Amino acid sequence: MLVQAKANAVAHRQPATEDKPRYLGFGLGLRSQHYADILDGDPDIDWFEVISENYMVPGGQPLRILDQIRARYPIVMHGVSLSIASTAPFDPDYLKQLKALADRTEPVFVSDHLCWTGVHGVNLHDLLPFPYTREALDHVVSRIQYVQDYLKRPVALENVSTYVQFRNSEMPEWEFIAEMAKRTGCWLVFDVNNVYVSAFNHDYDPHEFIAGIPADRVVQFHLAGHEHNMTHIIDTHDALVCDEVWTLYKAALDRFGPVSTIIERDDDIPPLAAMLDELGKARVLADEVFSGSKKP
Amino acid sequence: MSPPVAVSSGKAQSSAKAENAAPTLSEMQEAFQRAVISGDDAVLNEILDNSRTDRNVLFGVYRHAYAARLVEVIRNDHPFLSSYLGDDVFNEIARAYIEACPSRNQNARWFSHRLPDFIAETHPNEPHLAELATLERALNDAFDAPDAEPLALSDLAAVPPELWADLIFEPHSSAQRLVFTTNAHALWLSLKKEETPPQVETHPAPENIIVWRHETTPKLRRMSGEEAMMWNETVNGVPFGSLCELVAIYDDPDSAPLRAAQHLQGWIISGLLAKAQTEE
Repeated sequence: MLVQAKANAVAHRQPATEDKPRYLGFGLGLRSQHYADILDGDPDIDWFEVISENYMVPGGQPLRILDQIRARYPIVMHGVSLSIASTAPFDPDYLKQLKALADRTEPVFVSDHLCWTGVHGVNLHDLLPFPYTREALDHVVSRIQYVQDYLKRPVALENVSTYVQFRNSEMPEWEFIAEMAKRTGCWLVFDVNNVYVSAFNHDYDPHEFIAGIPADRVVQFHLAGHEHNMTHIIDTHDALVCDEVWTLYKAALDRFGPVSTIIERDDDIPPLAAMLDELGKARVLADEVFSGSKKP
Repeated sequence: MSPPVAVSSGKAQSSAKAENAAPTLSEMQEAFQRAVISGDDAVLNEILDNSRTDRNVLFGVYRHAYAARLVEVIRNDHPFLSSYLGDDVFNEIARAYIEACPSRNQNARWFSHRLPDFIAETHPNEPHLAELATLERALNDAFDAPDAEPLALSDLAAVPPELWADLIFEPHSSAQRLVFTTNAHALWLSLKKEETPPQVETHPAPENIIVWRHETTPKLRRMSGEEAMMWNETVNGVPFGSLCELVAIYDDPDSAPLRAAQHLQGWIISGLLAKAQTEE
């Protein structure tokens, strides 16, 4: 209760005004299957995004590897359990560990997802949807303000793939996100695959989503694969980026300009060389889009 | 269990909420969670179909993903229990565990932590299963236990002989002694080598296994009864002189100092100890 009361108290503060995180180039989501190839070789990767929770452990190999990777590459911390939209109080131990990891790692920025993961002390370990209402917007804004205050840095939030829409939603997702970013000063991780998935599942044009997002808040792109079930798409992050998502990526580059990009693979992790092939494709597409003055 | 916190919208907090009014965010999240965990369909009234399929199918993605994801978390933490039991039995146990022990930690790393206790309760006549799970949990815990600089033999070189009897040793933070009544250790070894597991046996005397981390690698090995006794007393803060006396009581008193020194040397070389200090 105390945590939430503080959250409400800071809800009307001015948005965070930190400088926009620098452009990082083309990176990968760090996965343990690739540790040896990364540390033993010198792969053509500009930066890594790490899953925060994988390193929120007491000690041992995970933190040792993270220190080694951090010594060579810029790092972004990407969490899955902040549960920013939950109506349950924040877990103070979780926030404490997250801050400790951020202070230790000094990431370029800290991100998580625009979702909730559970209530009543239960965690479903999933990125769950919620209705886009004014009530939810006020709630999420107050929670972001609290987290930014606690971490002493702006956070970035990612749009998640969703499979259901709520009857009482009052605005489209992009409008919710734009207002959320305006009121909190938070940054945005734009998952191109997730936009494609949600747009198909909810019968809207993904280009509407792209057009509705404030370009100056987007600090990162995610590219990933999915499973198409014809009636709906399931975001599996276990496959190659499909042609439609590459096309949408080009549209996002057109709209948002040069934005730090990663390929994100969560399952059926292929060898690093295959990941680098996909990353190379992202570089080529960006080169095509920015073959003029917009190249970073 | 913490109750959800009411959100600040005036509309949501209206005490005279109209019948049929849209649920608050808090109410919706409670209903959504119930629908995922226990199959209560009430939340479907608040969800829309898409143009190609209905809300049951769409919401089913969350229901399926919840169990499937957590079963995989458990399998990743217990790969040898999984291969020993086979997919059908393992999945049945894992799903029963998910239902009985929903995750209460923000980090899925700790989700399976109560599995050995759960199996001990639900499979009391198959203690080897709980012990195999216990062994895997101990290895997982050793993997990311807090870091500690291991004690080196050279650290003890400067200790004057007259102080040795007062030395108290601190175990490495990753070290954990297990006591098994079955041949779960042998089962684990055979599964690791991808060999056919031996028949389950109950030991006439408990088997002591020590699990710890050396540098970044989890390790395990058997301990004799004497070594386990000495280890246990070391963990309790008993000084080395008294440890030698206990070893002398355990077996041949004449060779007790040598045996105690050998146990100690083995622990130091293995990285099982973190610190040595004398009593104040």
